[in-house]
Amino acid sequence: MKRLQILIGKLVVKLLRLFRRNAGNLPGIVLWHLTRGRCCSMFKVECPIIAVTGTNGKTSVTNCIAQLFEQSGKRIITNHEGNNLDTGICSLLLRYCDMSGKVDADFLILETDESHVPVVYSQLKLDTLVVLDFFRDQLDRNGEMETLIQKINGFCKTFEGNLILNGDDPNTARLGRANLKNKKVKYFRAERYAFATDKIFEASEGRFCPFCKEPLDYEYYQYSHIGKFICKGCGFGDYEPYISAGGIDLEKPVFTADGHTYSPKLNSIYNVYNMTAVAAAAKLWNIKQDVTDNVIDNYTVQNGRMENFMLGERKTTLNLAKNPVGANMTLRVMNEMQGDKELLFVLNDNIADGLDVSWIWDINFSIFERVTRVVTSGTRAYDIAVRIKCSGYDAAKIVVRPDLDSAVEELASTEGRKFVIANYTAVQPTRSALRRYIAKHGGKTDEND
Amino acid sequence: MKTIKILHMYSDLLDLYGDSGNMEILKYRCKMRGIECTVDKYSIDDETPDFSAYDCIYIGGGADLEQQHISADLLKCCGGIEKAYRSGTFLFLICGGYQLMGKYYRDADGNEIKGLGLFDYYTIAPESRKMRCIGNIAVRTNITGKPVDVVGFENHGGQTHGVKTPFGEVLCGNGNCSKSSHEGYCEKNVIATYFHGPMLSKNPEISDYIISYCLGREEGTAATLAPLDDTLERKCRQVMLDRLLKK
Repeated sequence: MKRLQILIGKLVVKLLRLFRRNAGNLPGIVLWHLTRGRCCSMFKVECPIIAVTGTNGKTSVTNCIAQLFEQSGKRIITNHEGNNLDTGICSLLLRYCDMSGKVDADFLILETDESHVPVVYSQLKLDTLVVLDFFRDQLDRNGEMETLIQKINGFCKTFEGNLILNGDDPNTARLGRANLKNKKVKYFRAERYAFATDKIFEASEGRFCPFCKEPLDYEYYQYSHIGKFICKGCGFGDYEPYISAGGIDLEKPVFTADGHTYSPKLNSIYNVYNMTAVAAAAKLWNIKQDVTDNVIDNYTVQNGRMENFMLGERKTTLNLAKNPVGANMTLRVMNEMQGDKELLFVLNDNIADGLDVSWIWDINFSIFERVTRVVTSGTRAYDIAVRIKCSGYDAAKIVVRPDLDSAVEELASTEGRKFVIANYTAVQPTRSALRRYIAKHGGKTDEND
Repeated sequence: MKTIKILHMYSDLLDLYGDSGNMEILKYRCKMRGIECTVDKYSIDDETPDFSAYDCIYIGGGADLEQQHISADLLKCCGGIEKAYRSGTFLFLICGGYQLMGKYYRDADGNEIKGLGLFDYYTIAPESRKMRCIGNIAVRTNITGKPVDVVGFENHGGQTHGVKTPFGEVLCGNGNCSKSSHEGYCEKNVIATYFHGPMLSKNPEISDYIISYCLGREEGTAATLAPLDDTLERKCRQVMLDRLLKK
């Protein structure tokens, strides 16, 4: 029976390849039905599995951890394309397994959707779970934040493997208490950086201690609800970090961890946290320092994450923002840049975005500086236009172009620096529209940058 | 020029789906007309304010956990809020705020949270947290004196029963209960609703109803407001109405 299921799955993969289609999810969906929802249970994996989850940063951290092992000469399997649901992981393993379902590799490094951690790893034995953060994201798909955390917490109650947690995020750090018998809980954190604030700056979760309900006491906030916190009631937050980033200077940018200095390419506090998680994994698995250096110091992002384009002579930076934290981050980066600029905001409300776009009201647009014009686009072009208008921005400087190609034409109709923010399903169509513009009018992309 | 004074209660806790945006919108629409609008904040354990001194009291929505946190504190404010409401203060209540003004709210685990009992309705959350009313919603309301189609986003587990004077008739979506015919609760000086979005963003008539009520409440007649350019808001609503109501 199992052989037959695997055979069918592999055939679907082959067929899709034959028609040059991406076999990202569909084979897994077929098997999901054949196995009544337990599509990952048919694989035999004997090597350690490392999973990375959290709201923001899991693609980056998964890629970096994969590189740690790859550059150490290990044979790894990883979901590069970010197919991180049970069906996506199933599709991935179908490509690599033999007919008995055996997967042969030294390590599996799997980005895993927050809500799918218990699903996938009740079927596959997990060695290490890295949890980065929990923010409001697609709430209507996952149900409320608390339900999501409870799900993973439930999984952690019986999990005895390595648990690497962001100790500066109370929503994440609380998982460290789920199974008091697990001695393999490790926290990573980062010391105060120059733009940390004493008061909270953006809308967020987790103001109360999840154990004794006392308000959490923060020494500082790095961004959103990430920062140094402690519960005066029960001491939640008082732990010995496994690894801590210090000496953070984003101008250079540099930071140190375990007495070693890193010089990453990306200059955001978010990247410091992600790379500290990577350093924690490297420490745990005894990766050679020169390999870790190489990975952390060279990591850059593509696929619409701070990706640069030249629209003719106009420098344009595209960034994905699928939640307020991501969008606020882009606005901060935009503001810190000198000179005038224009913004294109592309907002979709497809199922994968979460149908609810009310999160745009948690973006702090009042901090706009030297933004001379805004173009909006996407299936919710008017919603984002109204939102920006009500933040006090002059409505006369807002242009709505629901069609993406005309939005890009509009953006490029003036000279100067451009920024583009697009949410989840809007990113790829936006990249394509930018490329179409470049093909038609000239310019370049930074594919090899 | 008169000032509109709004009290935003538990803004740090009940702000789940951009609900604070409603305050930003009211302030914006006042500012564009030269009306002064101040929004004071009140949260757990703050000094009890003089509720009757406010033209409008606003409470947003939160997750079960947050609602449990604030419920004891809200009950302490009961007398003050009731007095304000009777003397004509406008109550603008979203989701959790809506539920807690009723008799009680029973959450998914069966915990009963006592409401202020200002109104007769009560709310029960289904045992399964997966059963939620989620999606874009359109209702037709007559609160302003003529029919207005209002659009927004609902996301609630709680099913509210016993509403005698609903805010509107459901054109598309769920409303007070799963697949129900009516949404919210209203009186002349009350709008209680499951609308997020935030509610006022695409429905300028409702914003202006609240503003003109607040401006005129001491005289007993709603004030006339200078018109604003609402092209973007109307277009935004029309796009969603067209999508929801297309046959």
